[in-house]
Amino acid sequence: MSRFLLAIAIALMLNALVCLYRVVRGPTAQDRLIGVNIINTSVLVVLLLSFFVADRPTMYLDIALVYALLNFIVTVALSRFLETGRKPLG
Amino acid sequence: MADVVTGLLTATLCLMGVVFFLGGTVGLLRLPDLYSRLHPVTKGDTLGATTIILGLCFQSGFNPDTLKLFAIIAFLLLSSATCGHAIGRSAFVRKVRPWQTPAAAPRVEKREGESRGLEEA
Amino acid sequence: MKLRNAVASLALPAPLAVVLFALWGVFTGVTSWSGVALGAVTAYLIARISYGLLRRRLDPNLNVMMALRFPLFALVLFGEIVKANWDVLKRVFAPTMPISPRITSFDSFLSSDVAKTTLANCITLTPGTVTVELDGSRFYVHCLAREHEEELLKGRMERLVAWLFAEGPPDSRRIR
Repeated sequence: MSRFLLAIAIALMLNALVCLYRVVRGPTAQDRLIGVNIINTSVLVVLLLSFFVADRPTMYLDIALVYALLNFIVTVALSRFLETGRKPLG
Repeated sequence: MADVVTGLLTATLCLMGVVFFLGGTVGLLRLPDLYSRLHPVTKGDTLGATTIILGLCFQSGFNPDTLKLFAIIAFLLLSSATCGHAIGRSAFVRKVRPWQTPAAAPRVEKREGESRGLEEA
Repeated sequence: MKLRNAVASLALPAPLAVVLFALWGVFTGVTSWSGVALGAVTAYLIARISYGLLRRRLDPNLNVMMALRFPLFALVLFGEIVKANWDVLKRVFAPTMPISPRITSFDSFLSSDVAKTTLANCITLTPGTVTVELDGSRFYVHCLAREHEEELLKGRMERLVAWLFAEGPPDSRRIR
């Protein structure tokens, strides 16, 4: 089973690599942000998969939980920044 | 026997999740503009991650770890729609014009020496 | 009197602290005395800090009936998510890509912030629609094709949210 999960993780990472094209190319900053968002979600899932592959150290789950929260905060903060420019948020 | 059944369930859900992720990526690369690209990200990605994590729940059995996995699923479902909204709004407020099919797009006459401002969407 | 007020203000975040502490206990599984004490102190501090924020933001109209209706709502929403994914996958993998994107707007009769936020999230999760801006009670929604726009303007999701939060004119709360 752990080999199968490893294969799934590799497939997801290849998928994220393809998304990198949009991050490099994307005409607007928002396009890049969308690409980064997909890559973030893939990384989250790969963390969870490696939790099962690496014989379940609890640490991985906590890291994944925090990663999910950070992913959300990064996206919202960056899009607020793109929306308002450099002005402080009010 | 039970092992085989849970293994099959996990495998099916994981493969489904990979297909959803792939759909999200293909959409990201193929669709013409920012707003359309939001659709595969907010939908394909979320359901892909959700199905894979559900499959992993079968693998872990019933313990506190499963609860954490469910917490991650709930948070993903809540946050991804909000993320899509935030990105879309940041473009909409800055008046990025949506792409339209050539037939539906209004004809804009180009004149020399006049820069076209983005019109309100 | 002053002492009682002080005790009351210290006890206010207690329910939230208990919930946080229970969650922490389930997640970490620590049993040693020092660990439990640390968890309890942390839970109380976090509850104390975030209580002011929550009290201002929580809608006073939320009640138990809505919590009871929520599972059915979540089930309908999950069905919508699956449908939405199928639709997007079909369109993205089709060689001709049958899309004609447009931004449409409509006014909602929902009034409370919670209901409007829920509706915006639900619209994003239904097939082919993403909310891009919410200005007062006016929703700007990006639709992937004409049929999505028509489906959106029928207002099925709006009625579902109105039913969940018991808002709007009574005859609009029926789900069809």
